[in-house]
Amino acid sequence: MICWQCHEPTGSAVCVGCGTIQPPPASPDPFEILGLKRRYSLDREEIEDAWRGISRSVHPDRFAGKPAVIRRMSLQWTAAINSARRDLKDDDRRARLLATGDPNPPETSKAPTDQEFLESIFELQMGAEDDPAGTREQARSMQDTERARLNAIFEAWEADGGDLSDVERILGRLRYLNTALSQTN
Amino acid sequence: MANIGIDLGTTHSLVAMVIDGQARCLLDDNDRALLPSAVRYDDAGSPMSIGYPALDAAGSPGGTTFTSAKRFMGRGASEVAEEASLFRYELEDDDQAVHFRVGERKISPVEISSFILRLLHARAEECLFSRPGGAVITVPAYFDDAQRQATRDAARLAGVEVLRLLNEPTAAALAYGLEKSADGQKVAIYDLGGGTFDVSILELQDGIFQVLSTAGDTHLGGDDFDQALAKVLLTQAGITDADGTTFRAAVRAAEAAKRELTDHDSATLKATLSGQAVEAGIDRASFNALIRPIVERTAVACRQALSDAELTPADIDEVVLVGGSTRVPLVREIAAEIFDREPHCNLDPDQVVAIGAALQADILTGNSELAGDMLLLDVIPLSLGLEMMGGVVERLIPRCSTIPASATQTFTTHVDNQTSVDMHILQGERELVADCRSLARFKLTGIAPQPAGTPRIKVEFTVDADGILRVAATDTQTGAQTAIDVQPSYGLSEDEIEQMLEDAIDNAETDVDERLLIDARVEAEQISLHLHKALSADAALLEKDEGPMLTQLLEDLSNAMSGKDRQLISDLSHKIDEVSAPFAQRRIERDLELALSGRSTTSVAGELGIPE
Repeated sequence: MICWQCHEPTGSAVCVGCGTIQPPPASPDPFEILGLKRRYSLDREEIEDAWRGISRSVHPDRFAGKPAVIRRMSLQWTAAINSARRDLKDDDRRARLLATGDPNPPETSKAPTDQEFLESIFELQMGAEDDPAGTREQARSMQDTERARLNAIFEAWEADGGDLSDVERILGRLRYLNTALSQTN
Repeated sequence: MANIGIDLGTTHSLVAMVIDGQARCLLDDNDRALLPSAVRYDDAGSPMSIGYPALDAAGSPGGTTFTSAKRFMGRGASEVAEEASLFRYELEDDDQAVHFRVGERKISPVEISSFILRLLHARAEECLFSRPGGAVITVPAYFDDAQRQATRDAARLAGVEVLRLLNEPTAAALAYGLEKSADGQKVAIYDLGGGTFDVSILELQDGIFQVLSTAGDTHLGGDDFDQALAKVLLTQAGITDADGTTFRAAVRAAEAAKRELTDHDSATLKATLSGQAVEAGIDRASFNALIRPIVERTAVACRQALSDAELTPADIDEVVLVGGSTRVPLVREIAAEIFDREPHCNLDPDQVVAIGAALQADILTGNSELAGDMLLLDVIPLSLGLEMMGGVVERLIPRCSTIPASATQTFTTHVDNQTSVDMHILQGERELVADCRSLARFKLTGIAPQPAGTPRIKVEFTVDADGILRVAATDTQTGAQTAIDVQPSYGLSEDEIEQMLEDAIDNAETDVDERLLIDARVEAEQISLHLHKALSADAALLEKDEGPMLTQLLEDLSNAMSGKDRQLISDLSHKIDEVSAPFAQRRIERDLELALSGRSTTSVAGELGIPE
């Protein structure tokens, strides 16, 4: 990157040489925006640290009274890191981002159907009326199983670039279980 | 230039600034810091007085005194009808945005607020012997986009430059110097003012004060205590249909009694109502019983804020009380109960917010000692969404997102040759459009006629650091900015003001693009000039197909430079840099050799018959 103001090379949000804020990152990738490695096993503090560091240098409060062009860049930068942080802090959004490139869950109509699983959810809901406590227990244990599978997939992927094609399906299942759980409450 | 902090309150407003490193509230000629947020108009609708004189004349004939204008800022006439009747204000009902009627004039709450801001700004000017710089103006954290926008509009009408709209609780935390507390501290700010209740949970980490969550009620405050007590007084006096003047007189008596009950066990309500002198005694226990249901409503918002922050009362390290109404003993009691902790209240609750605003204003000058690492990060109080088919709201930016925040959405057309698309922006937590608050309607226009579903219009919604929404749209196929027609649901009706706003946003947008494009062109020009020179000087040093390749790239670049695609221009510039690098390297090596052998490049060029 070449600083748009002083034309010297710069690698950060704010030019090291002349202190001018740079245009916001062209890449929409949250990992790249926060300067973090593409990993699932990120801990919250790592994300928060990276986010706080950049916030401090790009926040609009740092540019009060500066020209519109500068304030605009500061606004775009800050909005970009705030949304990157949101995508990375949430386990499911981060997982989906790594697997599909989009942190947002697909629209229900476009989500792949998971017939086998839908049947077990249906059974679960059938049982909810007679035994809500037991049903909740069962739903939680199913969640734990899926969560463990998700973690295993990413562990393998981080170790030697394993396959992530199952991630979306597991996230879909977790969503179903969440809905089922909130319904029994 | 010195910046100021303004607390534009429901019942009182203040101005403060940092003088000799110390934030203090500025006083009027009678050494009073508080300015009653009251403006009096004569019967023809011309402003007569502001502040104490306006308040003192309230309830007497010959004019109307407006207080609590803040409650009506950025709201719709239908939303506040009940409230306006409580204050006995006459509302215009033909408008979307609230306007009061006095004689032949329509008066907007924005205008009333602008008089208050103007007076405070003038007070600062007198103290400074010069015009202050910008102002940090505080707003309740719970204010939605329209209410914030209305506050900004009031400042603009008053000629006050707004540096930042700061949430009141955040300002209070700053005033208490809580930024000096230990890392990871969590603070609850309980702010009960005249007309609004706010609770915010803040966390301090590395000098960054971050709002974790915020909740509140824009219609809950000390005014409600006065109203309840006034009703009791009117009932005791046997008055069932009080007119505006009588009612306001009763409210004033109630307010005085409320204040007395802060330090005394009983008080006397004294008023002249409809020409008859009325007196009634009230003790603290009955006052508490009267207001308890109102104060307890604050617990609902507190629980909401805690749950949004994923915390329990035990996680809270500090509780800070803000707002004049927290002087009421029962309020302190209930706040302590909710968080199970004795609250801080050693600063004057009326001045806390203004002091914090002044500190932030000072930070924004960049020369405060806090400026280097201190940062206040606010959140959006309500989710922002878009109306979808079937009257359903799709959430774009969820509640409690740290601001600035943005979201993009791609739109297309539904019928062939459609040239515009309508959008409806809402704020609220409910699923249905009918249950959310309408913010604005936008119209994307100037879409090139194409078959249905072909155009791709990318709309970017950005909530800035003040919590105000900005919208920008681009046609992703042509890269052209699409025009947006904004119609705020409860904004000022003065078209010019809206126009000014739009222009400002559009210009800011164009400024950046223009600037970046110019920069890309300048860089490209230098690169191509340099390379042209080198090519004509040292064609002999080119290898294989380098020559034709570079010539082609230079031609592409020159074509791109006459266009407006800055990305293409800078991509090509970088490509040229890359491809010509080995050639440049060879030239440097050759120059080095020549230098070592004692001959200059020009003389070599001359020998080879190449012009410089």
